[in-house]
Amino acid sequence: MLECGVIARGVRRSFGDVKVLDGLDLTAPYGKVTGLVGANGAGKTTLLLILATLLAPDDGEITVAGLDARARPREARELLGWMPDTFGVYDRLTVAEYLDFFADAHGLRPRAGAARTAELLTLMGLEPWARQPVHLLSRGQKQRLGLARALVHRPKVLLLDEPASGLDPRARIGLRDVLRGQAAEGVAVLVSSHILAELEEIADRVALVAGGRSEGEWEIGDLLTARRGMWRLRALDGPAAAAALDRADVPHQPAPGGRGLDLGPLDEPEAADVLAGLVTAGVQVVAFGPVGGALESAFLSLAETTAQPDDGGPPSRQPPALPDGFGPREVI
Amino acid sequence: MADAPTKPDAPTKPTKPYRAIGLHGVLVVARQEFRTRVRTGRWKTLLAVWFVVLALITGALSLGFADEEGWGVGVFVVLLSFVLLLTMVVSPALAAQTINGDRERGTLAMLQITRLTPAEIAAGKLLAAWGAGLAVLVVTLPFILWPVLTGAVGVHSAVVSLVVTALLMGVVCAISQFFSAVVARGVTSMLLSYLTVFALIFGTLILNAMAAVVSAELFKRSGEDHGGWTWWLLAPNPFVVLADATPSLPHEVNCEKFEGPVYDGPETSYAEREVCVRVGSDLDLFGDISETMREMRRGDDRDDYHESDSFAPGEEPGNPGPIWYYGLGFDLALAAGAFTVTVRRLRVPVEAVPRGVRIA
Repeated sequence: MLECGVIARGVRRSFGDVKVLDGLDLTAPYGKVTGLVGANGAGKTTLLLILATLLAPDDGEITVAGLDARARPREARELLGWMPDTFGVYDRLTVAEYLDFFADAHGLRPRAGAARTAELLTLMGLEPWARQPVHLLSRGQKQRLGLARALVHRPKVLLLDEPASGLDPRARIGLRDVLRGQAAEGVAVLVSSHILAELEEIADRVALVAGGRSEGEWEIGDLLTARRGMWRLRALDGPAAAAALDRADVPHQPAPGGRGLDLGPLDEPEAADVLAGLVTAGVQVVAFGPVGGALESAFLSLAETTAQPDDGGPPSRQPPALPDGFGPREVI
Repeated sequence: MADAPTKPDAPTKPTKPYRAIGLHGVLVVARQEFRTRVRTGRWKTLLAVWFVVLALITGALSLGFADEEGWGVGVFVVLLSFVLLLTMVVSPALAAQTINGDRERGTLAMLQITRLTPAEIAAGKLLAAWGAGLAVLVVTLPFILWPVLTGAVGVHSAVVSLVVTALLMGVVCAISQFFSAVVARGVTSMLLSYLTVFALIFGTLILNAMAAVVSAELFKRSGEDHGGWTWWLLAPNPFVVLADATPSLPHEVNCEKFEGPVYDGPETSYAEREVCVRVGSDLDLFGDISETMREMRRGDDRDDYHESDSFAPGEEPGNPGPIWYYGLGFDLALAAGAFTVTVRRLRVPVEAVPRGVRIA
């Protein structure tokens, strides 16, 4: 059993008649980046607010950094860092002043605060903007500043709500490096997202939330190996490839927009066999890979297999176990 | 699970005693708030405009009152009234969006999860708003100083009236901040703050007038005296507080001898009497308000002013009992209550989320 920075058990929270969290369980071990995945409205933000000791749950146990966060919120607060999905910065404050202020607010002595600010500016690559007013930062820079702010007091648990949303690929890689760095230092990192592709680069583990309940937690590696999904094939001679697939009894259909052929569902060994067979049969394969992101297809297939054990029908792209709005479009 | 990650040293410390408020925390918030306010820039223009307006008013008053005796008192009173009025108008603008504004901008929650306590956040923000308002008073100083230097108004009077104005400004700031803590939208809290200011200024007047009517009606019906109880409705009025708190401005006692009737039993004889009256500056509006209020409290308001104001030589009536500390006390209690609720509204974790309020 891993030591967990975050343990949530049976967390419930309603707003009026709306049950947002309905007995949710979650763990986030130290030294790992855990992705919290769910559609918009699945309860991710509410859960993070509860973990950040900003919102009281109606029921349930919350342990953050080894502390009962409901009974000792102030102590828990000193050990957790939190970054909301959208946040404001103070106008007319420079980047360095912004971080200094939060160091001050966290009770760091001025010298230690200044040192920490300098350290974080380097870590986040924000040094060139240290004297820039915060409201002039780009979205990616602002996001990095927000992350730096969350790290000011060296938290043991890091809670990030949609940190990658709206970031360009390069900024996302930067984010990944910082989060991986934090995890390597032993911090328990919990990252929420409704975009699976974002987490593919960042997370070690994934926890799925739907309708305020936990659907499960998986290691990314396990997910990828076990996935059974659609694969897309592009060959120089399409009809020849289709004929070869028919001979091998591999289900396939033309991919939308003349992008090639979609095969499957297949798991990884099956896909490897199919590819080997095609090459042996002389089909000139240009591209072969999972449809959509690897993690996404893994996830969809997982949701399918858990929801529809063996009804033998055609694979549905809309896993029935998930609530409305968690279709592929939402996920991608 | 393959790798066993290093476990960060688990916190084993016992529950630390936490202070509800500390000077450091208050100053951290206040400095931050003040800094962002100062840097928004427009305040320089506003203060410059304010300075020019005051200079014009002072100049006009000096010219207008130049022939009158005690013109310094006139300048002092009019200036202070004007400053108090501006204070009442400016304070809501300074404080009525401090909390819901931060919520809307998404900066409040990040403060709430630091080591800062709710009381420190509330006090720091209040201090910054109030401090910004005090800048307005500071600009006023040179103009107030003038009547003091010319000897028209005592230093004591000037200091007391400025301190009272500053306190009243703090009261309005605290009430405005309260609205910003309990109402989700900045526009609404601003409106409610202004309504409160109007209630303090005009509402008290109207209530008092209505009470006086009721009182008179009761008197007519029962013949019993119901006067003297309505004063407290007017006491919290900021202008009444300021007028009554300002120590009485210089005045003279004028005595006159005249032949008048003496009602002594059934016979009426004529005798020479000496009757004295206090003569302040005609321009001492504060003195007038103060006197009216104190008389109202004694139930003298139905009397003939002239008679009640006159006294025999050497028998100048003492202070009829100031009422300003009731009014100021009420206002300060209001502010304290407002502040307490503000602090409560800043506590996290939030149990019940009010409609329209975003946590983060």
